[in-house]
Amino acid sequence: MSDFDFIVVGAGPAGSSAAIRLATAGSSVLLVERADPPGSKAVSGGILWGRDLDGLIPDWEKSAPVERYIDFKSTSFLTRDSKISIDFRSKKFEEKKTGYSVLRAKLDQFLALKAKAAGATLVTGITVDSLARKENRIVGVVQDGDTITSDAVILAEGANPRVAIESGLREPLRDRDCAIGIKQIVKLSEATVNERFNLTGNSGYAGEFALGYLEGGVRAGGFLYTNKDSLSIGVVIAMENLRANGSTYSYDIMEKFMEHPYVKPLVEGGRVQEYSAHLVPEGGIDSMPKLFGDGYLIAGDSASMTFSNGMIIQGMNYAIASGAMAADSLLEAAKKKDFSGAALSSYQDRLEHSQVLMDLRKFRGIDKVTWSRLVHEVAPGMMENILFSMFYEDGNPKKHLAEIILGSLSKANMKRSELIMETYRMLRRM
Amino acid sequence: MALEIVVMVKQVPDSQEVVIDPVTMNLNRSLTRNVTNKADENALEAALQLRDEVGGHVTVVSMGPPQAESTMIECLARGADRAILVSDRFFGGADTYPTGLTVASAISKLEKVDVIFAGEESSDSSTGHVGPGVAEFLGMEQATYVSSVKYADGFIIAERELEDGTEVIKMPTPVLLTILLNANVPRRQTLKRKIAATKQGYEVWNLEKLGMPPEWVGVRGSPTIVRKMRPIKEKERAAKRFEIDQIPDLVRELFEIGALKLEEMQ
Repeated sequence: MSDFDFIVVGAGPAGSSAAIRLATAGSSVLLVERADPPGSKAVSGGILWGRDLDGLIPDWEKSAPVERYIDFKSTSFLTRDSKISIDFRSKKFEEKKTGYSVLRAKLDQFLALKAKAAGATLVTGITVDSLARKENRIVGVVQDGDTITSDAVILAEGANPRVAIESGLREPLRDRDCAIGIKQIVKLSEATVNERFNLTGNSGYAGEFALGYLEGGVRAGGFLYTNKDSLSIGVVIAMENLRANGSTYSYDIMEKFMEHPYVKPLVEGGRVQEYSAHLVPEGGIDSMPKLFGDGYLIAGDSASMTFSNGMIIQGMNYAIASGAMAADSLLEAAKKKDFSGAALSSYQDRLEHSQVLMDLRKFRGIDKVTWSRLVHEVAPGMMENILFSMFYEDGNPKKHLAEIILGSLSKANMKRSELIMETYRMLRRM
Repeated sequence: MALEIVVMVKQVPDSQEVVIDPVTMNLNRSLTRNVTNKADENALEAALQLRDEVGGHVTVVSMGPPQAESTMIECLARGADRAILVSDRFFGGADTYPTGLTVASAISKLEKVDVIFAGEESSDSSTGHVGPGVAEFLGMEQATYVSSVKYADGFIIAERELEDGTEVIKMPTPVLLTILLNANVPRRQTLKRKIAATKQGYEVWNLEKLGMPPEWVGVRGSPTIVRKMRPIKEKERAAKRFEIDQIPDLVRELFEIGALKLEEMQ
């Protein structure tokens, strides 16, 4: 007899979602989390996209600690002097809400307490040391010499899945599979947030930025999201890229982003409430480990389930969806009392038929676009030239748009054929 | 003989993360993490060591809001036998006087008490009142700033750290001891013990259970009136780099801004 039916390692969106589903179905579940309270070690940009919580917490939009619903989505290219943006605002998002800004310190606690309310045993402030094995099956977890047993374990450790790696269930992280994220929460008054971002009620802004103006060809993306009375602002820098630029410090990039002439006024006067940094899984499907085996499943960031195309960054939605599907697979396996890898392969099937793996397969290699020189440097520079030429009135005869574009193409620091190929590749991958 | 030991604990905002709301001048508790007061962890450890040596039971008593749950579970996971959270909205806003009275009232409901342990003071208000207050309300002998504790034949032998040395005193039980911060190393919580603690659970005692008049507790029972609070303005600071051969410049500059003064050599 096991101590628990199931053990879930990690009470983030993936782990707590799994625990909610399992406990609601009547299983005995141990949900163990190193942070106390849950969420206090978590870092994420902070937009929860999608409706994956619908199936777990029926009234979540009313009860969950969401900050603002996003009705203002923006993608910007920054050069040293300019900002070129595509803004999309729509009343349609008021009817059909698609994303909410969230603060993980609150959201993770909410989800973990939902799991507890559903009957899970929630233990916080404890770090699991390793997995317990019996004839190569995972049969529980080990902590400080004690073994706690279960029929199966869900590993939902987040971006740095130490237990999974040390147990040989996934490869160690390589530089090219990771980015580093730095984030600040900057406190402002609710009225100031509304005024600066032209928001009303509890509508919110979510902006992504390509930071092509950084020295030494460092490529980084920025993000800026509105919470009720604070901003989540940060940068994501490809690890490989950072490592190659030995002289660049990640916090300098953060500073440069916040000092940009069109970013600074948005955050000015705010008080930094949190400063955090975290690994970001960026490797996509190619860095995904085997998702199941005898007695275990891997969900969320631990399984590299994140998506970014430069215009939108997602992860929490995949975490919630994969956590719920991991739970469903365990509940199905429990009917036959078979927790072998063969039985748990239904988890892979569920993911393959869902948005999670469909997205990740379809957008394989998207990182080559989002981190490309074209997107970060060349295109923004060209756009800046084109738009500046169009809008700068110097009293000389005006040019046709085509002339301006051709002019800026020849100025672009990239071969024309290469540029066309790159653009084609970009559009195909996005 | 088996000792019945009580430990008084308090949940406090993590002192590393405390933020004062500039408008209300109160602690902004919404974003701060709550932890068990560090000196109380030392008090619990001292109690557990005494129990493990002599035998008996350790009961943890805390007064606080429902979120003190995590502290209750933590104390059980470290090895306490029983945990009681004294919690009621009537107790809110209490200063150290009704807090001591309420905790003393809860302890007096226990069948038998030989030794009470408390931390020397809490990190959030640093008064050190409540431990000694409880001893007074219960009419019990007390020793403060204790660093180590032994028991023999109905007597507690306690070492007190004083400014000019260490005092060793022998007192008959029952007795209340306040334990110095960092007097010992609290034992770890383990997953196994924390699971057991979560399953065991803790008791919540409200005003009715204590049978105290509402005007004796909480803000109504508090004689302290805070007239005014003001934040301390942070001084502007600057950093400047001087090479070793520029030290005369550094001295001159410090002198010019008034940070250094000339004094006659005697």
